[in-house]
Amino acid sequence: MAAADSPSAALRRRDLCSRGIRLAGKMRADVIDLLDAYVEQQGLDASASVAAVEGVPLAAVERWDEQTGTQRLLENLAAYRAFRALLAQMLEEQREQLGEADAGLGRALAAVLLQVSAFAYHLEELLRLESRGIPGEEEEEDGPPPPPRLSLFEQKLRGLGVLRELAQWALRSVRDLRQLAKPSPATGVAPGLVESP
Amino acid sequence: ESHIQYERVGADVTMKCGSMDWDAAVTWTANGTDINESRLNGSYLILKNVDLSQSGQYSCYEGSSWHLKYQTYLRVGTPPTEPVLMCRSNNYPKGFYCSWHLPTPTYIPNSFNISVIHGTKDMVCEKDAIPKNRCHIRYLQLFSTVKYKVTLTVTNALGKNFTTLTFDEFAIVKPDPPESVMAKPVPNNPRRLEVSWQNPSSWPDPESFPLKFFLRYRPLILDQWQHVELSDGTSHTITDAYAGKEYIIQVAAKDNDIGTWSDWSVAVHATPWTEEPKHLTTEAQITETTSASTSSFMAPPTTKICDKGAVVGS
Repeated sequence: MAAADSPSAALRRRDLCSRGIRLAGKMRADVIDLLDAYVEQQGLDASASVAAVEGVPLAAVERWDEQTGTQRLLENLAAYRAFRALLAQMLEEQREQLGEADAGLGRALAAVLLQVSAFAYHLEELLRLESRGIPGEEEEEDGPPPPPRLSLFEQKLRGLGVLRELAQWALRSVRDLRQLAKPSPATGVAPGLVESP
Repeated sequence: ESHIQYERVGADVTMKCGSMDWDAAVTWTANGTDINESRLNGSYLILKNVDLSQSGQYSCYEGSSWHLKYQTYLRVGTPPTEPVLMCRSNNYPKGFYCSWHLPTPTYIPNSFNISVIHGTKDMVCEKDAIPKNRCHIRYLQLFSTVKYKVTLTVTNALGKNFTTLTFDEFAIVKPDPPESVMAKPVPNNPRRLEVSWQNPSSWPDPESFPLKFFLRYRPLILDQWQHVELSDGTSHTITDAYAGKEYIIQVAAKDNDIGTWSDWSVAVHATPWTEEPKHLTTEAQITETTSASTSSFMAPPTTKICDKGAVVGS
């Protein structure tokens, strides 16, 4: 990363961060709406606790405030790539089970999938700005290993777990991007990714 | 032999005079006052349907030698009812605190034990010296979908009770009210008031966890509040104030993304700027001024003593 951050790069980062914050905020609102609809239409209990589902990235993080900017972006990017694959899978299952019976839920799922993809691209742009290597697309192209054949109920529970974690990730991303956009006390310019805790 | 004896309100209590036989001659006192023999059954003291006022020191003396044979301190009280427990984060994302109280007194000492579990992890609730019925928990993890389970158990000599709360990390986020709320008139603008405030000092990182605000204001002469929500910044100019009317103003805060609104801030009062009244140059006034021209300066009758508008803020 360039020793001193050029003001233009800092301003560009700040702009990308604030656009990313809005994107993540909108995505979170849509995911919460989708979650409500999903719970209702799948006949699930909103307060059901869902054990951690294999392959679903957990938003929970310890010592969040000590993370560097690069860590934040890389963890975010890995998560949204995984969600891209998981949502695509949910969409497919949705069509298999319900066909067109529930087009509304399918459309909402597809819309969120689109936002997740857009956000992943946005994160890549931020990483590119910092001339940070972007994790190989190829390794993650196929996303998490396909889960074992699940029963219909298990699929529904996993879908619930996916959407819940995605809602948490969207919130975490808003907070992460705000950290990145913070001007560093010394220069008053958003710090490079390495320094910003 | 002396000790504390706890009994429930309404209980029937029998006290033996230590190792003395049932038919031994004894004297019982309550807080030093002899007890009527009608209350005795042999050497046993019988207290029926005790109430709080019967708490006190009971002593039994051997009849002839006045030797103290038995002494107890009777504490009449009740077992604890279900405690009221509240958990809240006013300094997110640092942590949250839980505080509790008993809805009804027990009149005897109680001990409280709190357990905080996050998923499978037991968390430490650091008790505050003051207030006693409160403790703090530090968030070890953020953005977790796993719920927190807090169980408070209260125990006293007469029984035990508990209550449990289960909640998400975000549901309990409630900032303290905004601080240093100020309101002042805007010169030459009879319908404006400038309001400013600060983030609550307990909110640790307003940059990464920005607050949004809710402002409510009304003239004192009306009951209906007007509201405005502000997503950033810590000041606002009211532009639709009634000219010349004193206003009451309050502000509340909420995390931009999660949790609930704070309580309202302390109320501040302000009155919009008003035009300085013009001097009336009538005939009477001219003659009056000329005849009194030698006396000391008299304030023209229409000048207002106080300022145009007071800058008020807490």
